[in-house]
Amino acid sequence: MHSNDAQMLVLTVLADGPLHGYAINTAIQELTGSRLGPGSLYGALSRLEARDLIRPAGTDAAPQERHRTMEITDTGRDTLRAELEQMNRISQAGLRALGITPA
Amino acid sequence: MKAATLITGLYPPAVRDRWGADISDELEAIGPRSWPDAVTGAVRLWLRPSTWPETFAGQTRRVAAVALFVVTSATMLLLRAVEPSPAVTADTRHIATSLWLAPTLLGMALAAPLPPLRWAALRRMTVVAIRTLAGPAAALSAMVLAANTGVVRQASGLTDAALVAYYWGTLAFAAVGMCILVARVAKAAVLPSARRLGTALVLLGTGLACASLQNVLVSIKTGSVTGSLAATVALALLAAATISAGHDLQPRHS
Repeated sequence: MHSNDAQMLVLTVLADGPLHGYAINTAIQELTGSRLGPGSLYGALSRLEARDLIRPAGTDAAPQERHRTMEITDTGRDTLRAELEQMNRISQAGLRALGITPA
Repeated sequence: MKAATLITGLYPPAVRDRWGADISDELEAIGPRSWPDAVTGAVRLWLRPSTWPETFAGQTRRVAAVALFVVTSATMLLLRAVEPSPAVTADTRHIATSLWLAPTLLGMALAAPLPPLRWAALRRMTVVAIRTLAGPAAALSAMVLAANTGVVRQASGLTDAALVAYYWGTLAFAAVGMCILVARVAKAAVLPSARRLGTALVLLGTGLACASLQNVLVSIKTGSVTGSLAATVALALLAAATISAGHDLQPRHS
């Protein structure tokens, strides 16, 4: 995953709490300034669910509900943490190379 | 029909069941600017059946089996449209031109849902098959009858155009009927495993790639473009798509 990767963005906003698809994109817009296209967003959601990094929230929820709410799994949290730590190391190294002291 | 509904309909059924409403809302909110991304996303999801979020057990395998027969039917119509082609026509005098049929037919056989060996289930499936295929069978019979009565040879002008339209309409009707039959039978039948379906898709893709290659080889040999270049490209694209989806469906060993 990369920092601008749709899957990374979805995991990041879901780490804050369960959201449905449209709300996930609204949260991504607040974070990055732009919405993901529907193909990128729902492709990312499908891939993340297939990898067990996210799952439908609430087992009692009706499968046919209009907006399905998704939540991050423990594996998803571990993956996100590992990715963010790696990005942080790269970011620190890059800023040092540019002569900028990280805050 | 609204564009948002149409584009949402391009997504695999499992994705539509799970996020169809959200996809439509996004498309309506963003507008035409989001259409290319949405269509590309739908194509990518069709090529990655292992990522479909199943809303019931066996949904992916059922859809993949039907999709295989849809691709096969589309291929048959495509090849019929560019015939006569010496490159891919089944001919006992030129066995090589039938080469592509071997993996294609093997793929279809592997992907076919098997009827459960229970008398009641078999009887239900027979009824479903008769109901589904009665229309296409009647249309095909009428076409054969018209061809053998000499009406076709004497036709001209509007009658000729109507007969050509009837011919293609009947072929399309029969192809759709076959796909609907597989979809209806798959609901109660024993579906092939993901591994078997993956292999079936790869075999179908191999058959389509062979057909495309045969077209190219004959074009090079004869120095002319047999059939049509568009058909060769379409076959190659269908081959790449089915092989990719087949590989994706194969269970991975970690």
